[in-house]
Amino acid sequence: MSTTTTDAVAPTRSTRTEVIDGATLGPVTRRPALSDYFSLVWGRRHFIFADARARMLSGTRGTLLGTAWLVLRPVLDAAVYLVVFGLVLHASRGIENFLGYLVIGTFMFQFTIRCLNAGAQSLISGKALMKSFAFPRAALPITAVLREVLSYGPVLCAMVVLVLVLPPGPVLSWRWLLVPGVLVLQVVFCFGLALLVARPTARVPDLQHVITFVSRFWFYGSAVFFSFDRFIELPTILRVIELNPMFQVLDITRDCLLYGVTPQVSSWLVLAAWAVGTASLGFVFFWRGEERYGSL
Amino acid sequence: MGPSDLFAPAVHVAVDDVHVHYRTPSTDAALRRGMPRWQRGLNRVVGREPTAVVRALAGVSLVARAGDAVGIVGLNGSGKSTLLRVIAGLETPHRGQVRARSMPILLGVNAAMLPELSGEQNVRLGCLAMGMTPAEADAAYPVALEVAGIGSSIHRPMKTYSSGMGARLKFAIATAADPQILLIDEALATGDAAFRERSEERMDLLRKSAGCVFLVSHAAKTIEETCTRAIWLHRGHVVIDGPAFDVAQMYRWWAWNLAKGETATAASLLKDACEQGADTRVVFSPADEFSAPPRHARA
Repeated sequence: MSTTTTDAVAPTRSTRTEVIDGATLGPVTRRPALSDYFSLVWGRRHFIFADARARMLSGTRGTLLGTAWLVLRPVLDAAVYLVVFGLVLHASRGIENFLGYLVIGTFMFQFTIRCLNAGAQSLISGKALMKSFAFPRAALPITAVLREVLSYGPVLCAMVVLVLVLPPGPVLSWRWLLVPGVLVLQVVFCFGLALLVARPTARVPDLQHVITFVSRFWFYGSAVFFSFDRFIELPTILRVIELNPMFQVLDITRDCLLYGVTPQVSSWLVLAAWAVGTASLGFVFFWRGEERYGSL
Repeated sequence: MGPSDLFAPAVHVAVDDVHVHYRTPSTDAALRRGMPRWQRGLNRVVGREPTAVVRALAGVSLVARAGDAVGIVGLNGSGKSTLLRVIAGLETPHRGQVRARSMPILLGVNAAMLPELSGEQNVRLGCLAMGMTPAEADAAYPVALEVAGIGSSIHRPMKTYSSGMGARLKFAIATAADPQILLIDEALATGDAAFRERSEERMDLLRKSAGCVFLVSHAAKTIEETCTRAIWLHRGHVVIDGPAFDVAQMYRWWAWNLAKGETATAASLLKDACEQGADTRVVFSPADEFSAPPRHARA
């Protein structure tokens, strides 16, 4: 292309003016109002569902054990923590039913981490779809989380079975019925999380590595395999830890499934506030970048 | 044209002074030399290449009416595909705006969709992505299957398709939505003769039903045969916008000279074409409520 140097505008060109009735034409790229955007996303719910299901089925192809890894991964994680922290470092001291404690911790925490990573990846891996079809882009992170939800069904069943089987066994009570409530709040929280991280990660892909580190801190700060009660005497620090939504998810689930204790209302409130707050903030934040995702 | 043609066919697409530029990595040594030393060092440490700004579109305006089949010709990298993506609303221009009567549907070359999934699942997913209900998608499926004409291969994963088969399927999906405005990016080039004929039929049908089609190709012959109008793009500018035959002939003659190394002739041909061409100025009436200030000024 270096052969011609004239740029296409010559001085002698005439100008032709086209007057167009603007009322009949709408802009092709404009960020709709927030409420319209929400109904647009809702209108694509069939797409979101079909996409999530299709990706779930195709996602585990290529490994020998396929979907079994979804269960094996947290089981093996739990085994590592059992050996290192339970047997070697005795972090299990003072924790009743340490095996059940550990299983709930690793299984439930893994779900949030998977949603976080899938959400961060969603716009990057959805590039081909974005270049082909004009749909509200929030469908991509939402699909990513939905896919995790769908593939986590069997994993949760495995968790419940393990809790029942592992000695000394849980305390069975009506509080088991509260568990779906925790799960719903956790999923809502994850939707918000995915929407929040999708936008910056699409701009700066390096954030994927940062997210890995932050989530490791988060993991250790959520009492997955030890109990804070043993290490921390200052009640103010304990209060701060209790503001961590994942700590609350694990704590409430353990209270219901393992110990037959009714979780405190304050725990529910903290978790619900996080879920609703993150989801709304994430949606608005994602919506504000809507026009730019196409040119990534 | 002015207010005199009140009876001109309805406007489907109006592109008003659209600018797009990209920042891309570049291995250009001149760029590297122009940078301060610390930045060069930093780039070496993190393994990054210097970036250059590529102006893909530099003020393109055009109007397409019902029944138009607009061909877009130009060399590789002249902004043809970018223009289609902007018209389709998949990319937001840095300046200017695009307005359309209905949502345009783009049929692109690299619309790989989900290669792991079968053609059938891709058709369904594509239909749902364009906003159809599951019932509408089910109804559109047999039509798409017929247009694609790839037989039982529809059940195989899309990554096993040849490029021609992939193009057929994409074309089928794009037309399944029955769009009024269809944008086609080089897709016809990869199909065989039978498919070409069928897709041309489909395009004609669309034009007759008062829709409009945009077709991007660097093969001027395709444009000449299938379009009513052509636009020659060069480095993000419109060189000339006119009847398909005339523009395609001019472009071909210029490109031939360029290929033969006749740079002087090519340059004068381009200059002639520029002088013959006209700039389009798009004015919306009543005054535009949608027009936004340039995006960089808003932040």
